[in-house]
Amino acid sequence: MSPHVPSMLVRLAERGATGALIRDTGALYLADGAVVHAESPAAPGIDVLLTADGRLPSEQWREAMDAAGPHCRIARYLLDHGRLSGAELEIRHLSALYDAAYFVLAPDGGPSRFRHGAVHWFGRVRPVGVADVERESRRRRRYLTDLWPHAHLDAVPPVRRRHAARLPPVPRRQQDVLDLADGRHTPALIAAKLGRPAFHTLVDIRRLAASGHLETRTSPPPGPGHAEAAGPGAVAAGAPRGAAVRRLPFPFPDTAEDVDVVVLRRLRDALEAHL
Amino acid sequence: MANTETALKDAMTSIEGVIGVALVDYTSGMALGTIGGGKDLDLNVAAAGNTDVVRAKVRTMEMLGLKDEIEDILITLGTQYHLIRLLSGRGKSGLFLYLALDKNRANLAMARHQLRSIEADLEV
Repeated sequence: MSPHVPSMLVRLAERGATGALIRDTGALYLADGAVVHAESPAAPGIDVLLTADGRLPSEQWREAMDAAGPHCRIARYLLDHGRLSGAELEIRHLSALYDAAYFVLAPDGGPSRFRHGAVHWFGRVRPVGVADVERESRRRRRYLTDLWPHAHLDAVPPVRRRHAARLPPVPRRQQDVLDLADGRHTPALIAAKLGRPAFHTLVDIRRLAASGHLETRTSPPPGPGHAEAAGPGAVAAGAPRGAAVRRLPFPFPDTAEDVDVVVLRRLRDALEAHL
Repeated sequence: MANTETALKDAMTSIEGVIGVALVDYTSGMALGTIGGGKDLDLNVAAAGNTDVVRAKVRTMEMLGLKDEIEDILITLGTQYHLIRLLSGRGKSGLFLYLALDKNRANLAMARHQLRSIEADLEV
């Protein structure tokens, strides 16, 4: 995490500040020194998370936006009109808040500035302490590293691995992600399509890469929404015409392509059994 | 219409022998709310760790081809019960309630029954 963000956040919290901490990766909204909302281009917004699975029909969402959006009281409107229970609203809102905050507080999120007095249109649900948000973001970063230490997978469109058909089937939720891994959808797009928090999608992608269903060796996209072929197993679809293939520095020689994933999995299981 | 905090407080006060309760998102391992616990039982650590328990069981059921849902998972220690109840209501799949109970004071059948009603409190 950037050394500047935590200290700036702590100062803002101590002063009981109200406003928005804005970075390249998104914004964190504070009210009286506590975090009340977060949003990031990398994470589906609260509107997507509330409407995606049909839980809240989109016409009800629009109605709430029209009626309460200008007053920044959408949360209150949804509660008062019985659209969601207090518990469900809280659960979904916290889920969106921590999801976006993870990206806002990314170590490479760029410089931060604070816009005093900015208020988010969704309205206050359950404020969370700055320290809690930071701690959870750090825990999430560690969690991903522990699953499969290849952070570049968070940004590039995932690509299926060639011999994955021989592997055991994956859980349903991971299969949804795998179905969208076509070398064109970025993790953020997959999350938005599935209406799930982006971090959950990153977890699934790391797990799928660790189990050999997805390529680990993929190169970074040249621009938003594009993928490039990396190893011999990568899919070339979506690569812009004429673009040179860039490779990530990778610690293993090319023979990594031939490593038997099943053997690796058995080795890992055996090692874990001795922990 | 309870919010998460009152639902967890209800669990803490209405269930005999409760040491701690957490509402956990099992993909991220994050506790959306905790109550009780203490220095002997860090509920945030328990929340993250128990996601592995849930995932292992879900996976085993899928491997066995069992077309069924997990209602709860009971872990019996020497002095405690740990009860994991998967929430199934609208929009709450992917969450579970985690309950640690003092084995000497708890009535397991009652605790499971009350946990069901707390799940209902979290519904619309």
